[in-house]
Amino acid sequence: MSTEPNSVADAEYDVTFIERGPERARFLIRGITPAFANGIRRAMVADVPTMAIDTVRVVENSSVMFDEQIGLRLGLVPLSTPPGEFEVGESVTLSLDVSGPDTAYSGDLVSAEDLVQPTVDGVPIIDLKEDQRLEVEAEAVLGRGESHAKHQGGIAVGYRHLQRVEEVGDLDAYDAEESHVLRGVIEEDGELIATEEFDHDLRERYPGKELAVEDVPDAFVFHVETDGSMTVEELVSEAIGSLEARAAELREAVQL
Amino acid sequence: MMIPVRCFTCGSVVGQHWEDFKARAVEGEEDPGAVLDDLGVGRHCCRRMMVSHTDLVDIVAPYQ
Repeated sequence: MSTEPNSVADAEYDVTFIERGPERARFLIRGITPAFANGIRRAMVADVPTMAIDTVRVVENSSVMFDEQIGLRLGLVPLSTPPGEFEVGESVTLSLDVSGPDTAYSGDLVSAEDLVQPTVDGVPIIDLKEDQRLEVEAEAVLGRGESHAKHQGGIAVGYRHLQRVEEVGDLDAYDAEESHVLRGVIEEDGELIATEEFDHDLRERYPGKELAVEDVPDAFVFHVETDGSMTVEELVSEAIGSLEARAAELREAVQL
Repeated sequence: MMIPVRCFTCGSVVGQHWEDFKARAVEGEEDPGAVLDDLGVGRHCCRRMMVSHTDLVDIVAPYQ
């Protein structure tokens, strides 16, 4: 996954992208065990630290929401987190000052650090009426997903087996065809086809054929989305880096 | 009250789509499903956040 030329090529892993965007991607990895695939998934969800507002000092809150409700909403706003720039536990101050009648948006947060900014500007925090005002100072802290969901960089991260579809014969002409729903990515003679292309129904692609569908061993199709705090590439390489760091730590602990 | 910032189930940020969705599908005439597809809210966990939401701020406002 790393963009360094030797990392993917030297290993026996083979990565193919099916869909690739900055915040959403699908890719196939061959040559990994189910345990390792799950390790990567869990690292993406719980182990890659992201910035999120954790402490709020309320200067004035005359809105209809309680301070702690405002605090929760501010905490869930994703903040950009360039990997390697901050240590876990390090904090950045943000402030918000909006007077009604107006709506306070996540984009109204002013950060003291250029690297840490709200990645989505249009999230309404609270609607303020005449004479209502919200002024807060907030500390964003770098934390891991295992401590709070607001620190999860990966959203709906999952994987499925790659499935191989082969035609084994023709269906009896008078048999009623049953739908054969499959989700994910199939392999047909080495070609990768996302099931969206035929509306997830194999009958659409192979009418009148008898099919054999089997899981391809050690080939997993990952679906990764991020909350915008970093790109998919950064998230995946950070997750793999965290697994590597754990392994190194273990090796050190085992050596006497 | 206010639209939740994130989807309760998957954690994807959905709050920024509410005002658009409200104008087009709740107060407007467009089909809610088509609007959500257009906004890129694809999973049904995120879609229910928008479909089932009611703004109550205006109702609560006088009682501060």
